[in-house]
Amino acid sequence: MSSSRRHFLAQAGVCACCLPALASAKVLDTGIESLVGPGYEPVDKDERGMWQSLERLEEAIRNSPKRLDAPKFDAYTRGVVERLVERPVPDLRIYVMRDASFNASMAPNGMMVVHTGLAARIRNEAQFAAVLGHEAGHYSRKHTITQYRSMRRKSSASAFIGVLTAIGGVGIAGDGVSLALVMSMYQFSRTQESEADAFGIKLMARAGYSPGAASEVWKQVIEERKASAKLSEQKYKDASKSAFSTHPATDERMVDLKDTAANLAGGNFSDHRDEWVAITKDHMPMLLEEQINLNDAGASLYIIENLAQDGWTGLLRYNEGEVYRLRAGEGDAEKAAAAYATAITLPDAPPEAWRANGYALLKAGKTEDGRASLNKYLELNPGAKDAGMVRFTLAQ
Amino acid sequence: MIRYIPLTAVLLYCVGCVSTAQTQNTAAGYKPPSGNYKVVVMRPDIAASVLTAGGQLEQREDWTNTAREHVLDALRAQQAMRGGQATITVTSGDDPALRDLDRLHEVVGQSILLHKYNPYAQLPTKKGALDWTLGSLATDFGKSAGYDYALFVFARDSFSSGGRVALQGIGMLGCIVGVCILPQGGSQQAFASLVDLKTGNVIWFNYLAALTGDIRTQVGAADLVNRLLEPMNTEPKAKSKTKKT
Repeated sequence: MSSSRRHFLAQAGVCACCLPALASAKVLDTGIESLVGPGYEPVDKDERGMWQSLERLEEAIRNSPKRLDAPKFDAYTRGVVERLVERPVPDLRIYVMRDASFNASMAPNGMMVVHTGLAARIRNEAQFAAVLGHEAGHYSRKHTITQYRSMRRKSSASAFIGVLTAIGGVGIAGDGVSLALVMSMYQFSRTQESEADAFGIKLMARAGYSPGAASEVWKQVIEERKASAKLSEQKYKDASKSAFSTHPATDERMVDLKDTAANLAGGNFSDHRDEWVAITKDHMPMLLEEQINLNDAGASLYIIENLAQDGWTGLLRYNEGEVYRLRAGEGDAEKAAAAYATAITLPDAPPEAWRANGYALLKAGKTEDGRASLNKYLELNPGAKDAGMVRFTLAQ
Repeated sequence: MIRYIPLTAVLLYCVGCVSTAQTQNTAAGYKPPSGNYKVVVMRPDIAASVLTAGGQLEQREDWTNTAREHVLDALRAQQAMRGGQATITVTSGDDPALRDLDRLHEVVGQSILLHKYNPYAQLPTKKGALDWTLGSLATDFGKSAGYDYALFVFARDSFSSGGRVALQGIGMLGCIVGVCILPQGGSQQAFASLVDLKTGNVIWFNYLAALTGDIRTQVGAADLVNRLLEPMNTEPKAKSKTKKT
């Protein structure tokens, strides 16, 4: 795809060297201020119409069955945003959606959507704040409406050029100018992403979050994609490394954020890991299960190992076993069995780890140990949905 | 904004239509509602936009609010003339039953629009048939709320900006030198569907597109509602059911 695009660009006479994707790393400008205060209401017609056009979408999101039913986590997320922007945010509505992908988005009317897949990859509150701060940056800097206006201006120019060049018969030059306008729309979007990064990291430092967490998030994303590609025997390619990308190249964002963080160093920063662990404790089994069910062993193992940098837990070991069990490749049964066996030695192993360990042992012919583990599962989780089936196995 | 894609597909098809295009589809054995029936008219999905020079549709809040009111008024008047008891809902956001039905229809209605009105997206198994259903969600709602029918209305109206008109002007000048490029101006698209809440089936569906009309005015809104819903009263002739539209 990318090579044909480059070919297309070369033909159209647009030189690749002027494309911003090749720009070198820079320290982001953290001097920018918010354009939106509490109780902000748009005045301009285009912005009011944009807000109105989002009403039905937001209604659907608000009532979606895919929404995570977790009022405490919602409140916590709101708290992190408030800590970042240093004001209450009644103007923001935050929706956490059950979606295993790494994503969050911000609509101009104050609708913020956070995917559960984001929470699954995050190690501490500072990393979470890095993403929320970035989204708050889009909102505070009114990016959607500015981008729309820029697009309206450029597509209008492009339309006039299109009609005029067709009539005048100067197609090639006109097409070049139109294409340059299209390219500049993408560039505009990338500039906004950088600005949101800069805004986010500024808020982080001000709120006492380790600013280094922002580049950590991107480092994790890159490493996870590489791990995923490696295990599925594909070559890692950053889709945002294109002149047609709306986002800057991931590795550049990481380096820019890292350099900017170094520039902001010297404050009294913390990653607030304890708060993050406490609020996500009850959700972690679901978050990991959602990821593992994607059956992307490379990504899942990376995510688990990344989280385990803060210490292996029974839950992480159990899920590591689940990744191998689901992949079911050569030697995976043994790897899964080993992970389950380790999981049950850890204090916070979920009951399912005992069940998985039990079945793995029975398969390996270790009947007595296997039965003991299954009994332990029933003891820990007497009301389990599959209790009948486990009892049936025990009765054999 | 995935839900607008099918409509765009229809729009492309209608770029060449100058006059009003209008075609209704009916389920097998369709009979217009009659007698002492109860119909719920679901919150109409209405928007009015300005068409910018570059071709974007930019929703205008003031126009949309006016258009919504006029369309609701026109629906009340139109339904009052039909007989039967009509309840017109202004919001469905807070009632889960209404909301779910509305959301389901949003998807089904757009599917009908795509597969019945876009010649490039015809489904071989749906040829000459209107056999979509909202299933038990609709029948359960009908039973609990006590309605016989649900009527859904969707309308979009757009108007050229000054820049768009200028662009069209330049395009027309081109005709003098033999290069005619005529960018499309504002246009109107609407569809409506009638669901039998006893079976859950979509029994009647109508779509219209026009390059004229103005739902921001009382007269224009009434005109749209009448053109859109009037065909519902006519029982199709037996042979017209298999006729290609």
